[in-house]
Amino acid sequence: MAGNFQHPFLRIQHVDRQSTGSQNLLIASSGPRLYSYAAESGQRLAIWPRDVDGAEENQEPPEKKRRVSNSKAPENEVSKSAGEAAGKSPVSITWSSIPLLVASSSGKHVVALTSEDKCIRVFSVGGDGDLEQLSARNMPKRPSAIVLASNDTIILCGDKFGDVYSLPLIPGEKPTALPSRPITQTRTQPAATSLTVHSKKNLQALEQQKRQWNEGYRPEEKTGPAFEHQVLLGHVSLLTDLVYVSLPDSKRSYILTGDRDEHIRVSRGPPQAHVIENFCLGHTSFISKLCVPQWAPEYLVSGGGDSHLLVWKWAESQILQKVPLVDNASETTEVAVRGIWAVSLGTSNVIIVSLEGSSQLLCYVLEPAGTLKAQNPIQLSGNVSDLTTANEAIFVSVDGVRKTGSTQEWRETPASPQTLLEAFRVKTGSESLEWEPVQELAGVINSQGTSDIIAAAAEGKQRKELDESTYSMANLRKRKGEDD
Amino acid sequence: MTPPPSKRQKRIAEDAAASQLSEEKKDTNNGEIKMPKKKFYRQRAHANPFSDHRLDYPLSPAHMDWSPHYPAFVDPDPSKINLSGARKLLKDVEVVDIGCGFGGLLVGLAPLMPDTLLLGMEIRTQVLDYVRTRVRALRYQQSQLKNSSAPSTSQPQEPTPSEQQPESEPSATSDDNPTTVVPGNYENISAIRSNTMKFLPNFFARSQLSKIFICFPDPHFKMRKHKARIISETLNAEYAYVLRPGGLMYTITDVEEYHHWILRHFRQEKSVAQEDGGAAGETATGTAGDVTDLFERVSEEELERDPCVQVMKEATEEGKKVTRNKGHKFVAVFRRKADPQWPA
Repeated sequence: MAGNFQHPFLRIQHVDRQSTGSQNLLIASSGPRLYSYAAESGQRLAIWPRDVDGAEENQEPPEKKRRVSNSKAPENEVSKSAGEAAGKSPVSITWSSIPLLVASSSGKHVVALTSEDKCIRVFSVGGDGDLEQLSARNMPKRPSAIVLASNDTIILCGDKFGDVYSLPLIPGEKPTALPSRPITQTRTQPAATSLTVHSKKNLQALEQQKRQWNEGYRPEEKTGPAFEHQVLLGHVSLLTDLVYVSLPDSKRSYILTGDRDEHIRVSRGPPQAHVIENFCLGHTSFISKLCVPQWAPEYLVSGGGDSHLLVWKWAESQILQKVPLVDNASETTEVAVRGIWAVSLGTSNVIIVSLEGSSQLLCYVLEPAGTLKAQNPIQLSGNVSDLTTANEAIFVSVDGVRKTGSTQEWRETPASPQTLLEAFRVKTGSESLEWEPVQELAGVINSQGTSDIIAAAAEGKQRKELDESTYSMANLRKRKGEDD
Repeated sequence: MTPPPSKRQKRIAEDAAASQLSEEKKDTNNGEIKMPKKKFYRQRAHANPFSDHRLDYPLSPAHMDWSPHYPAFVDPDPSKINLSGARKLLKDVEVVDIGCGFGGLLVGLAPLMPDTLLLGMEIRTQVLDYVRTRVRALRYQQSQLKNSSAPSTSQPQEPTPSEQQPESEPSATSDDNPTTVVPGNYENISAIRSNTMKFLPNFFARSQLSKIFICFPDPHFKMRKHKARIISETLNAEYAYVLRPGGLMYTITDVEEYHHWILRHFRQEKSVAQEDGGAAGETATGTAGDVTDLFERVSEEELERDPCVQVMKEATEEGKKVTRNKGHKFVAVFRRKADPQWPA
């Protein structure tokens, strides 16, 4: 056998630590693990969680819809850290992937989401690049977007139930602080009465309920998470992306949220997130990505299931431009925007877009009038997974497992070493925006590899689950013929 | 004892009813529009607000074509069109009944505010068909009345609910046969199918509405269904968005627990947990950063003077049913405050 495929980098994040005087890092999630690399040399510094003996991971990936009890699971893990516990009580891997990864702007912390247990884990980043888990908080629903706000003090988390939570980055001393401002109520009797239900069946059910109450039965109270949290706002839809914008001039902050039902909502930042300022309505399919460039915060680039991007002046709900993503879009073209990044490299401010299951990066220059001007795309060796900027270059994680352009078909044989990362920098001196590859660093990282996809997972149901956890956009599209 | 009719028998009866229904619809051919019969428009009382359904909704409020809904209010200038190319109206919809059911509230309110456009929103197709046919029939009746009788009695006739009505056709008999010409001639009411929990901002712009009614909402008794309730703290932010400052949010329910739920979600009442945490300085009202920034409760005295409250209690189909069953009605009305100041 030519060897196994290795887990590609699902997320990659540059950690700028100049303010703390430590070396900069690249942190990537691959399969169930986090890898940290020195951003200068590409040398691998740490893996989380640390392997106990050998690279034996549990053979059975966890069940997808496993119910995680909110009350029990988290406490056991909170105090554990990968560093100190290695060998004695290692963090057992009960998840298959890490779909979200965010670094704080100070570079001191990294926030990651593990998939099946819906757990937001906060790590402190050691001087040597080591990751030490500080807290693990299981969310009630699967988070779809995480950002840090208010000078890295709070985590804003949007979930698939449409709610946006605010959590302190570092949980307070009180172990189970009361959830702030709860609105649940303990019942003292069934909510229905013979005055509100009338049909024979319902009355029978009510009688039954009353008997149960008299015997001391109480329905299970649905309490929120046990840690300190606050619900800031909610959509009745699947929330897909979340952006926090802080305008330094006006001292005002905003939360922009996108959902599966084509809405982009502009709310005020906390503590006034319940005040909706406006909606940006114009997409005809789901929203998947929102991007507000740091260097031009008045603009918003949004994309999703439409075959075009929209550029907005978001505070006025004004569409500035509709940017086609494919040359001749027909009714049947199905594209989904996977990522939109606003990068600033030297003098070039560039908007880079990737499509789900595509090996091209589409590049645009944001012009002063707020319109995007298309540039030559960048071709990669595999489907684009994620992107980050470091050392005046872009680092693109690519999928070396699936065939280029497909979200399901795997390659015949794994390359050795498998390409995990490619890097590019802007060619200087040319008129238009041109890119040239940067070999050194990416080469070092690629040669070190990640963990193998175990052979059993390379086929059948497990393989399908692996594909779906890497490429999940298709599920957002509404299918015709669903009605009651 | 006779056993209940089998499903098959029921279906046959329904088929017969359906053919009668299509005949009824044919009646519009010879110009006459009959009042719809509720028994032909039965639908189960619940709809899942989280499913996609097959809904029509405009891209944005500026894309909505209101002209077929309020033909009497279409701007006579045909050059005035909106973003979807539809004729504009002379005024915007201002009052919305969310979950309008069979339309009793709309019909009751229509004569009270003849120059205001009222819209019912309902997620259940059959029920919506009923309301639309009902409105068409009412408009037709009005035009007949206007033509036949000289406009001598233009006194608004408040539809008075009779005390005991037959179970089968509670409303269609009394309200819907006004013998007088009514202000507005029901040209100011209409209804659309929508899931307002998802798509309210597609229909209405910021501060467009002056009144929202939520009457006898689906109580979703089970705790795990509470997320489906149409009133929640997070949805209140959307109601606040479409309501103008000074606008009113009317709620009525016959489920006491739901009434307290509503008060809690408008932060007008403490929950048990909050009372426990009250020592930590948390009070139910007036804390910065919650929905009390946006809504205040309207006093009982003020409600007594508000004719809309009376209509809400007495004219809705559910309201009548509750009266018949001698149930309780719990009313809570909230006024939209001006947006809070940005934090300095």
